Amino acid sequence: MYHQRRRLIAPAAGMLFVQGWLLSPGAAADGITIDRVYDPYVQLLEKEIEYRLLHVDDAGTDNDFQRHRLGIGHSLSDRLAAEVYLTGLDLPGSRFSAEAVEVELKWQLTEQGEFNNDWGLLFELEREVERNVWEYRTTVIGLHEWSQWIGKANFSLAYEWGEGVHNEWETAFAGQMRYRYLQGFEPALELYVAQQTKGLGPVLTGIARLGGMHKLKWEIGVIFGLDDKTADANWKLNLDYEF
Amino acid sequence: MKPRSRCGLVLLLCVMSSGLLAETPVVRIDIRDHLFYPAEVLVPANTKVKLLVTNLDPTPEEFESYELNREKVILGNSRAIIFIGPLAPGEYPFFGEFNMSTAQGTVIAK
Repeated sequence: MYHQRRRLIAPAAGMLFVQGWLLSPGAAADGITIDRVYDPYVQLLEKEIEYRLLHVDDAGTDNDFQRHRLGIGHSLSDRLAAEVYLTGLDLPGSRFSAEAVEVELKWQLTEQGEFNNDWGLLFELEREVERNVWEYRTTVIGLHEWSQWIGKANFSLAYEWGEGVHNEWETAFAGQMRYRYLQGFEPALELYVAQQTKGLGPVLTGIARLGGMHKLKWEIGVIFGLDDKTADANWKLNLDYEF
Repeated sequence: MKPRSRCGLVLLLCVMSSGLLAETPVVRIDIRDHLFYPAEVLVPANTKVKLLVTNLDPTPEEFESYELNREKVILGNSRAIIFIGPLAPGEYPFFGEFNMSTAQGTVIAK
């Protein structure tokens, strides 16, 4: 039966995180990279509206803030999907303001399950709203299945340029290890490593069916800072309405 | 190229292509009048299987299964390939998301 298929392969699952630690030291990425760990898949005919919230809670400081992202996406084919985001910041002592606009293109490179790993690429171009500052990012997305465990790894290379910033290359790693327990409830562990971010924490994800072709994918979690540069707790909420 | 490097390259190519050379069983499924034919799909257990799903209806359908961890939209009058497994012996339900009341099926791994 299906339940007999569930096997815990924790040692193998941990390899993804070890790989992330080995490859990422020396990596540099400005700002907070805690966001979302992408999978490489694209669904034909899929449209989505996405909301992401990051609440950065640095105990004992006045640095707490919230980042909000609203996205609208549409698949262009069975291998390509595009999404546009508007990002806003809610900083302490100031009003909520729009921070950046971003365009994203995801390219699914391999058919799911055909090879040992599934692969994709993500291309992102972002521009700050109030300053002429740009960032271009390419991310290699890898995914591996170990029975009910799913490991995702995102390796990013970015270049930032514009007025008032030091033009530079940046790299980052984000990884997630998820256990497919129930469709509506899947526990996961996420790791983020970049110059300004080193965090690890638990995440819960699930899918709620809303009838017909409507689905709500949700994700909630907290990423704890592992060094002095990273806030103590980074609360994240992602809601992805697909239709 | 040094002989040692050449051996390494050959070994790498062998490892990379081993998955491609292995024979992957192909199982055909048709979608007709918002139903799956066959509704019970027998596949060998512990083997990767290639499902060749042909949608004979003029409207799109989505093959979906949480148990198989697969989700794939197939346009009307089109064909799609879905790789599943290796599966432990057992039953794995799937359905057509656009016509859930009728399009139901089960993969049986033996």
